[in-house]
Amino acid sequence: MSRVLAYCGFQHHPDISLPATGVQGSPVQAIDSGALRLLWSPVEWPFDPANMQQHAVEFHGAVSHIFKQTAVIPFRLLSVLDDHTALTSLIAENQQNFLHDLERLKNFVQMEYVIYPAPGVMQANRSSGTAYLQQKATALRSAEAFVNNMSQAIEHLCSEVRVREAKNGTRCFALVERGREDEFRQAISSVPIPEHLSRRMSGPWPAAEFLSEPVRSPQITPMAGAN
Amino acid sequence: MDHGRRTRLSLMQTDFESVNLLGGEQDVSLLEILDHVLNAGVVIHGSLVISLAGVDLVYLGLNVVLTSVETAMRKIKEEEKRGAK
Repeated sequence: MSRVLAYCGFQHHPDISLPATGVQGSPVQAIDSGALRLLWSPVEWPFDPANMQQHAVEFHGAVSHIFKQTAVIPFRLLSVLDDHTALTSLIAENQQNFLHDLERLKNFVQMEYVIYPAPGVMQANRSSGTAYLQQKATALRSAEAFVNNMSQAIEHLCSEVRVREAKNGTRCFALVERGREDEFRQAISSVPIPEHLSRRMSGPWPAAEFLSEPVRSPQITPMAGAN
Repeated sequence: MDHGRRTRLSLMQTDFESVNLLGGEQDVSLLEILDHVLNAGVVIHGSLVISLAGVDLVYLGLNVVLTSVETAMRKIKEEEKRGAK
């Protein structure tokens, strides 16, 4: 069954080139609504789970092709719509919100770092429950202090930083001016890291963490008879 | 009446947890790509069936956004709490 897969939205400009193909090798196409352009391609649905990794790379490639040139609002890989009519409704109903976010984020990229316990460095103190909890609390305070140090080191480079606790550590998202990614990496690397912690940086990514709520979960008018 | 789509996928939750454990600092790994393309950005409302080892574990209703496994699990807990009240 053929469906419509949405990749990303961006501000239309004639100099921006489009990727040739996307997921499943299907031709990537564009739909416009005012200054907003949205990339999409027809796909066979549902996806074969065995091909999910390949689809993820193809999807990432298509979005990255645009993101290298300008700010984008990425969709999630599984954002399939029933048909082109639904896509038209989506872009028409949400054009203003999308353009507002794109204007707000147009000069920024998202950089990320994750701080997590260094594997194998700290052995759990199992001598008593109290000792175990004290060790955990100490490690937590140390991680919080390190996150604060990192935040201070990048403060001058970031418009905004958001911190989220993840299962295995602390995940930080920074809104950084496009073109200053190397400065960000150097600033992060300049902060000495405690022996029992590790960090990992990644980016630049589209500023997905900083999307407004109406853009993150857009309204689409349900079509009569849709299944 | 069902206005949503049902998506049936077999994904291992661990795929989304191990991204924090990889070495190196600047390379983009496949897990990071998976994490971002499934877990960051615009979501469109729908419904989702998660299958692990060929067994349907959960069915998320129309009011739950189409999302990754990690986010879905959080939604399930929220739905369970609401259902218990």
